[in-house]
Amino acid sequence: MRPMRSMFQRKRHQVPSLNVASMPDLIFTVLFFFMIVTHMRSDEVKVKLEVPQGTGVQKLANKASVVNIYIGQFKGEWAVQLNGDLISPEDIPARIEELRGGMSAENADKLTVSLRADRHTPMGVITDVKQALQQSYALRINYSATELK
Amino acid sequence: MFRKRYRQQIPELNTTSTADISFMLLIFFLVTSSMDTDKGLLRQMAPPPQQEEQLMDINKDCVLQVELDAQDQLTCNGKVVTPKQLREEVRTMASVNREGHVVAVKADRQTSYEAYFKMQNAIVGAYATLRESYAQKHFGKHYVACNSEERTMVNEYYPQRISEDLKGGGR
Repeated sequence: MRPMRSMFQRKRHQVPSLNVASMPDLIFTVLFFFMIVTHMRSDEVKVKLEVPQGTGVQKLANKASVVNIYIGQFKGEWAVQLNGDLISPEDIPARIEELRGGMSAENADKLTVSLRADRHTPMGVITDVKQALQQSYALRINYSATELK
Repeated sequence: MFRKRYRQQIPELNTTSTADISFMLLIFFLVTSSMDTDKGLLRQMAPPPQQEEQLMDINKDCVLQVELDAQDQLTCNGKVVTPKQLREEVRTMASVNREGHVVAVKADRQTSYEAYFKMQNAIVGAYATLRESYAQKHFGKHYVACNSEERTMVNEYYPQRISEDLKGGGR
């Protein structure tokens, strides 16, 4: 082709292709790690809330016995959400009873209510919820908060 | 041999895209799952008040009256305090009169939850420091490192005596 360049033209080295056969295995390992350490978001939070910050917060163990109550703004009003759906505080005892029935006896004893309330919620709403919980003998309450650094 | 055919090499399967597929799965899990563990203050409420319940008389000196008004103003026995001061108050009270003191909590319906939470945090924190020091002194380790037996011992030594006005009571 170009005879002049032929003396400068070196022999072409082919770059050896990288063996990526084990890459999927690596990524699968990471994937399984994440699948184990995380948990799926169980219920969609409909209310808008921002939990307060605390200093001495503890981790809440045993997810199976936890009932989530979210209190926050919904369409400009304070609303209470139990697990998946919006309810009024009067309905709490019935719902708790229902949930308790679905649990194993051991978990039902340790039933804990995780109260995730917005920091600006007036105490009136929370007191109503707490009274309802008291009526249904769900006495372990976890005031959800983030750790203050 | 007439049966001998020449060996055909099996073509390699192109697995380059398996990595992409697993990456997509990984990202899907990262998005849909939540890392955050539920953290908070664990409290135990009193059972609902019974009709024939008798009111106990408690010496006024042993009661720490903690109140929150509609403007989130925190008062302790009538004087305005910060959560930090409240913590100190509760700590002195609980260490001086371990078995007999009562922290009576009352919150207005207009109080914000944040103020209420800060108050709870201060009270629980006060007990936590007391229990921590007791655990350090008697077991030589942190309260969190104690086993359940030791914890019960510590908890019984420094009981949380918090009464909450919910038109009922709390312990």
